[in-house]
Amino acid sequence: MIKVHYFGIIAEAAKSEGETISSPSIPLKSLIGDLTEKYQLDSYQFQIAVNRKIVKEMDALELKTGDEIALLPAFSGG
Amino acid sequence: MKKTFLEGAIASDFIAESIAKHQSKHSIGAHNIFLGQVRGDEIDGRQVTAIEYSAYEEMANEKLHEIRESAFEKFDLTCLHIYHSLGRVKVGEICFFVFVSAKRRKEVYAATEYLVNQVKEQVPIFGKEIFENEDFQWKVNS
Repeated sequence: MIKVHYFGIIAEAAKSEGETISSPSIPLKSLIGDLTEKYQLDSYQFQIAVNRKIVKEMDALELKTGDEIALLPAFSGG
Repeated sequence: MKKTFLEGAIASDFIAESIAKHQSKHSIGAHNIFLGQVRGDEIDGRQVTAIEYSAYEEMANEKLHEIRESAFEKFDLTCLHIYHSLGRVKVGEICFFVFVSAKRRKEVYAATEYLVNQVKEQVPIFGKEIFENEDFQWKVNS
């Protein structure tokens, strides 16, 4: 299982704060592709965190059970 | 892990108590404080009345830990504290409190600015600007 979290405007678009993906392993790129299509996220800008670290290059990344990913729009603290 | 997130606005009593707690630390010669206050911007004719904050708390706490460590490496500080609100904070209320203490004053100015910038840029906190009619828009830092 892979945990996905949504925040800010992305949570609003997905109408959810997160979900669990039952697949034991999936390339990050295809998961993001699936989610983008499912929630029509094309027009949104977001960063991706895997296990609480921002991912700069997602091409080669394979997610596995226990991983936690997050779709993060622009930070606006302060 | 130090506690950063507080529910709702940061009360002036809380800030006063934080200052008072340092009276027993006699190596300190200078404190510097940054307070972020919710601004009542007018956007397209609509008045902001509050900001509702949310955060990816697990990641935010890890990032805040790294930011604290880096500040202690860069500057000669005695201690530092960072607090940020979650939930709704009304216009005029305090949502962000950074408190830096050192032997001498020079360090505290630079360290405060460094910490404020790092938190704004690196920590996954999200603000939703709420208008009078409960309409809202997601805040973008400028």
